Amino acid sequence: MDSSASALEPLFAFLSYALIQAELAFYKIPGSHVIARYVKSSHQNDPGRTVLEVLLALFAIRTLLQSRTRADNGEKHFIQFSEKEIDELVDEWTPEPLGAPLTTEEQMDLASIPVVSGPNGPRPKLVNTGKQVLNLASYNFTGLAGNETIKERAIETLRKYGVGSCGPPGFYGTIDVHMDLERDIADFLGTEAAILYSQAFATISSSIAAFAKRGDIIVADRGVNFAIQKGLQISRSTIRWFDHNDLKGLEDVLQNVEKERRKRRGPLTRRFIVTEGIFERDGTISDLPKLIELKHKYKYRLVLDESVSFGTVGRTGRGLTELYNVPATQIDMLLGSVANGLNSSGGFCAGSRHVVDHQRINGTSFVFSAAVPALLAVSASEGINILRNTPSILSTLQENIRAIRAVLERVDCITIPSHAASPIIHIYVRAQAPAATAVAGSKSSSNSAPLAFDIALEERLLQDVVDEALAQGVWITRARRLRGQEIVEARPSIRLAVTAALSRKECERAAGVVKAAAVKVLTKRK
Amino acid sequence: MPSPIALTTPPRQESIFKKRSPSYLTAMRSAQSYLIALSEADARARSRDSASTMSTPALSLSSTATTLSEEDVVNDAPCDNSDGLAFPTTPPTSEQFSSANHLQFGFCANENYRYKSAHKAGTQLKELHEQDPPYYILLTTYLGYLFLICIGHIRDFFGKRFHPKFYGHLLPFDGYAPLNSDFDSFYTRRFKTRIDDCFAAPVTGVPGRTIALLDRDSDDYNNSFFLTGTTTRGLNISSYNYLGFASAQGGCADAVEESLRRYGASSCGALLEGGSSEVQMTAEALVASFVGQEDALISSMGFATNSTIIPALVSKGCLVISDELNHASIRFGVRLSGTNIRMFKHNNMKSLESLLREVISQGQPKTHRPWKKILLIVEGLYSMEGTLLNLPGIMELKKKYKFSLFIDEAHSIGALGPNGRGVVDYFGVNPREIDILMGTFTKSFGAAGGYIAGSKTLIDRLRLRGHGGAYAESMTPPVLTQIMASMASIMGVSPSTSSALELAQHHPGPAHPCQLPAWIDLPPSLRDGSEGRMRLRRIAFNARYLSRGLAKLGFITYGHTDSPIVPLLLYNTGKMCVFHRMMRARKTPIVVVVVAYPATPLVTSRVRFCVSASHTKDDIDTVLRACNEIGDVLDLKHLPGERWPLERIFNSAVELVNMEDE
Ligand SMILES: Cc1ncc(COP(=O)(O)O)c(C=O)c1O
Repeated sequence: MDSSASALEPLFAFLSYALIQAELAFYKIPGSHVIARYVKSSHQNDPGRTVLEVLLALFAIRTLLQSRTRADNGEKHFIQFSEKEIDELVDEWTPEPLGAPLTTEEQMDLASIPVVSGPNGPRPKLVNTGKQVLNLASYNFTGLAGNETIKERAIETLRKYGVGSCGPPGFYGTIDVHMDLERDIADFLGTEAAILYSQAFATISSSIAAFAKRGDIIVADRGVNFAIQKGLQISRSTIRWFDHNDLKGLEDVLQNVEKERRKRRGPLTRRFIVTEGIFERDGTISDLPKLIELKHKYKYRLVLDESVSFGTVGRTGRGLTELYNVPATQIDMLLGSVANGLNSSGGFCAGSRHVVDHQRINGTSFVFSAAVPALLAVSASEGINILRNTPSILSTLQENIRAIRAVLERVDCITIPSHAASPIIHIYVRAQAPAATAVAGSKSSSNSAPLAFDIALEERLLQDVVDEALAQGVWITRARRLRGQEIVEARPSIRLAVTAALSRKECERAAGVVKAAAVKVLTKRK
Repeated sequence: MPSPIALTTPPRQESIFKKRSPSYLTAMRSAQSYLIALSEADARARSRDSASTMSTPALSLSSTATTLSEEDVVNDAPCDNSDGLAFPTTPPTSEQFSSANHLQFGFCANENYRYKSAHKAGTQLKELHEQDPPYYILLTTYLGYLFLICIGHIRDFFGKRFHPKFYGHLLPFDGYAPLNSDFDSFYTRRFKTRIDDCFAAPVTGVPGRTIALLDRDSDDYNNSFFLTGTTTRGLNISSYNYLGFASAQGGCADAVEESLRRYGASSCGALLEGGSSEVQMTAEALVASFVGQEDALISSMGFATNSTIIPALVSKGCLVISDELNHASIRFGVRLSGTNIRMFKHNNMKSLESLLREVISQGQPKTHRPWKKILLIVEGLYSMEGTLLNLPGIMELKKKYKFSLFIDEAHSIGALGPNGRGVVDYFGVNPREIDILMGTFTKSFGAAGGYIAGSKTLIDRLRLRGHGGAYAESMTPPVLTQIMASMASIMGVSPSTSSALELAQHHPGPAHPCQLPAWIDLPPSLRDGSEGRMRLRRIAFNARYLSRGLAKLGFITYGHTDSPIVPLLLYNTGKMCVFHRMMRARKTPIVVVVVAYPATPLVTSRVRFCVSASHTKDDIDTVLRACNEIGDVLDLKHLPGERWPLERIFNSAVELVNMEDE
């Protein structure tokens, strides 16, 4: 005991010396007297407070030092292994292959996809058959593909700008032609501004996520396309669904959300209604005036994806706003596809200047991706020019749609859910037993009873129809879906893309072929 | 010169900048002539029926007004050389020289200014230790932020009281929550807006060796800009034009023109739904043999390649291990896939190995079941740091830990390696040992879009399961053509003797003629690969010369010397805009990219140079000279070690480049 105390003596001496030195050093710091006085007096008044303050300071330091990327809910479930055990575990571990090989059906599926050998257009030649076909598969609604003026303009642009932009918009990738196209789109639609993304599919996921954050509320249609679904997922907002194209249902959801908010006395969060103009999945059309009424009534912002309707409906192809004659300024974010509507590449979001400028900094796929090649931006501008100046293209398109529907609507073994003005026409197999789910165009279609259809069977039948039509010189396609990844499985369908570049006669002939193929395949099933 | 801090745009009265009013601003017509043309065109369109392959009319008002003749393009080249950009300092002797070309791709005939980009076999990749700046720099940087935060809050405080209408969009209004909250936008409003003239400047023309900036000005403190109608041409050390294939002339542009005439500019839909074309198949096969994999698929956007393919590779029960500095597109894709994700320290093999040991031994969280797959995602060349991937280290770990490897070669493909085949080529690794090679065409190839390459089974799986195949538009023919033409120029096309199969055995070899569409007619220098090789050797030289030169001047730079991306550290945010403006206001304007938080850590604001094969040695000299002067003014030279005077650097460039790494 004694000896240990004496052994520690030099240590105590050193400690007290160090303490004095530290104190001296502390008082040398300018302003330290003030702190010392503060600590002393506060300690005098309330010793508990000193403890509290020290704890607080320690806590602050701990929080600062804690790294964010680690702490994988670790400690509790962490098992301590020795190095040897880890080596064994590493040896034992066998990963699955990165991608499972295709099944025979999948291989056939992939091989059955027609490949165009020359230019794509209304009457392309296919590699698979070596023959020319009538094209109701590719998106060429207003027949801009192969347009000579566009080609000439694209070549001029090539000779001035080259091809690639070689940089994201923030790093010298913004070329004057991009600004021109953005202005053209905004003028065409009648919005304040527009922003151009370099791929249509990547547009809406970034647009939505630029505004909707965790805690915000998004009310979305159950039938929205895959790109929107991905946007909803990435935004991490609270999602509420309403039945496909059921605006009564939408209103109920809006009322419920409002009720819940009142009850919880939650803060005011951003609220969005997200839906499509013409639904890519079945060709139905949203009732835009009603949507706008609801949006104003419940104070939501409306995000409308016009990927199919922009450049295809309305007198000059301005889309749903033109069809219903409502000003585009009523829609907070209007998204469209430059690729589908103008036969170029890219997508856009139009809206107020504020909405657009915000995305220039916060739209992930805008900020972190190279801008569209100049020649494609100019092609799109030229496409808008043509649409503006030639309203007759749009009326031809509508005539062709009517001609095709006139033939197909009389076929018993199929149903068409699509709206009469929609340039994409989906074809379902009519259920054999007259089930309630198979009524054409009905509001309560496939979604309320999600699996009232046999996906594998119907896809096989439809593929037979597609093959049969192709053998007769008409190219149509099944609507391709990522099965198992969509929020609600879409009913298998054939999707026709009508084009203004075919004559009415050709459309009728093509529809006749589709009809014959459908009858041939579907009536002999069982 | 007025104080650079005061400038937002270069003074307009000074005549050192060329000014030309752009020709496309002249389109204006009377309403009547417009209407007449409209009805005429419509009538024409109606009368010409479906006989021709397309029935849209060939009318365009704007096109008649904005047509650029060949002459315009040539006239685009300035006749004066006051900024020293139009002509090389050593005048070209033998070859035919055009200053229009020189503006896009610099003329540099000296064979000494070449280097081979390759890792020395048997050596370790140099460990980078980031040089810290003196403490007072760090301190002032933090103080700078503190100061800006205080000022920002004071301005907000008074602004909200005296100019409430400027804050309208940040406050709840009429029952709507603000789209963008006051707090979230603070950084943008109070930091970025102050120096917004340094970001997102619009340009025109080819992003080649030089680039023409559209001059702009703001009369509301950078809240909005208007174009002044003039342009400033500057030396472009910012675009990702690594091999100089961004060009409006030459073999590649000719091929693209031919493809536009043949195929038009549209792809007409998703690959699986009516957008597949023979051109696309040919391009995919060429890409596969370029990178040395069995098969490849092409998607129309580089960002989307990552964000739509990663979810098809991994799902619940899998783990993604990601470098902490990976690109946003990778993070986006991983988030969509819903897998677990763990990060390791940037390019740090120790950190990676300890993480691997932990995750494999622990298994999935809670259940401790073994992971189904572990996918390591890394980049070949990091675009903000200039670090090369430590591929040899990773290959060693891969053998031991059996994870799958995904390398994003967005910046490295084309720009690195003796054959331009990316980091894999640089380190001489067999590409087939890597599960997935991803890359983009927006950089070295001067095109757009991205690819994924791997084994045939895997790529076929991705064709069906990637989001892009079913839902995204496919790539347009002109862009595909640019890819094929530039890629074939790098590879060279073999004179057709051996069979394609044989060629595939010799990986970094030339392309087989049948791999290219017959209508692509490359000029001989591109076809035999000599020009491609020259470009590879030029960028390798330029990259080493710039980073070594900057180091000898005493600047702190990051990254490996072989990297064509050279970040120069500025630290203080305030220096960013001054650096940018001073570079732009020089007699030979230099166009640079400055980046700060959130793209970089808070204190390490930097300027990022992207060297290109289109730069000449003189151009790099110009950049070094400019940095030297500005570096003195802004107190940027903090690297300890030997300093060389400018002249010595200029004169011993070759020696500097060939010096071994210490
Ligand atoms: C590592 C990485 N991946 C992907 C991309 C996206 O490529 P793109 O610009 O072609 O969309 C980039 C571009 O900046 C990148 O740096």
